Amino acid sequence: MSRKRLFVTPYRCIDCKNCEVACSFVHTRDPRKPSLTRVRSYTLRNDVKSVVLCLQCDDAACQRVCPTGALERDPETGAINRNDKCILCKACTIACPFGNIHFDPTNVEIVKCDVCEGDPACAKYCPTGALVWAEKPIPDEKVEENVEVRTLPWAMTMPVR
Amino acid sequence: MSDNGKTTVRMTIDGRSIDAPVGATILEVARANGIDIPSLCYHPGVEAFGACRLCVVEITKPNWEGWKKLVTSCLYPVEEELIVSTRSEEVIENRRVVLDLQLARVPDSDVIRQMAAKYGIHDTSYEKRKDADTCIMCTICVRVCEAIGANAIATLSRGPEKYVDVPNIDACIGCGACALSCPTDAIPMTEENGVRHIWDKDFELVRCEVSGEPIGTPEQIKHFAEKSGLPESYFTKSDRQRKKETAADLARVMLG
Ligand code: SF4
Ligand code: FES
Repeated sequence: MSRKRLFVTPYRCIDCKNCEVACSFVHTRDPRKPSLTRVRSYTLRNDVKSVVLCLQCDDAACQRVCPTGALERDPETGAINRNDKCILCKACTIACPFGNIHFDPTNVEIVKCDVCEGDPACAKYCPTGALVWAEKPIPDEKVEENVEVRTLPWAMTMPVR
Repeated sequence: MSDNGKTTVRMTIDGRSIDAPVGATILEVARANGIDIPSLCYHPGVEAFGACRLCVVEITKPNWEGWKKLVTSCLYPVEEELIVSTRSEEVIENRRVVLDLQLARVPDSDVIRQMAAKYGIHDTSYEKRKDADTCIMCTICVRVCEAIGANAIATLSRGPEKYVDVPNIDACIGCGACALSCPTDAIPMTEENGVRHIWDKDFELVRCEVSGEPIGTPEQIKHFAEKSGLPESYFTKSDRQRKKETAADLARVMLG
């Protein structure tokens, strides 16, 4: 059975923040808490836009550093989810080399991308195809040409699980 | 697996027949099946301790000839044919006594006051503790600190005089997990101008090498790097800074 994955194509991002609003709303039911988004889009230097969210690493630093086994892979979605074993030591938030796991001081909990349990809202509301939840990526010349895109500098492979 | 090779046991909770995994406790199985058992000292991330007795339930078996007993559900492993009641009169009475006593111990704790109120207790029938803080002696902080591997917190003294403290402050890595995990907010922790104050000690926080945001204590970072085997270079930047850099890296790789 082929499985859906989150395909991230940062150069298509226009930094419209739809993904951020969708993410924080789905996870907090509070449209006034955009700071609690797990996905972030940016306008970087030279007006370059980009988007990033948890890569659900195969050998994840957050999982390695967690003393209680509170970060568990969901075999269905492929996402690493934080369970109720978390003791709030915040080690994971410092250890993640990609900055994709956070402490939410309002609700006093560790938050990270859970691909919305298999139906990621960010992808649903992304108007440009920078975030796509599908079995295959959208064919893309630029991506096809750029073999590099599959092997990122940290020996991490795209697409995101 | 149990002796006969089975991985589950068939049991009953509040009249519901449930297939429970061997080795699980009554509390875990009840909660996994949406049956609420209140608890104070139970935390899924650390070893159960059975200190508060709020999770007590009534058990029996078909061949016990009507004989019943009360057990702490956070410690008691499930068994074949076990019949559990989480709301018999005795169970409710036990909860009332536990909460009444806790209310005398920590009259100012909102958490305990709210729990007690649910059982109709608005004022304790025992003598209130003088100069009471909000510690309920659940020892979650002690076990959290143990799980982290710092082992800085201990219970001192005995009986009603018992309290938790950090006998050896040098062992404390200032991570703050105890304060954040405490169900009654009994461990004060503050963070101001890059200094974290906890257990009467000040920790100067390491700052993100790019953004300057405080990220953690030097002791905490060293400890987690050692325990995980990850290089200390993994612990030098804030999550916000890292995220932005990841976005930039992704864009760069994509655009070649
Ligand atoms: S904060 Fe929670 S999830 Fe993160 S490492 Fe500590 S126990 Fe694990
Ligand atoms: S939760 Fe079981 S004794 Fe405290």
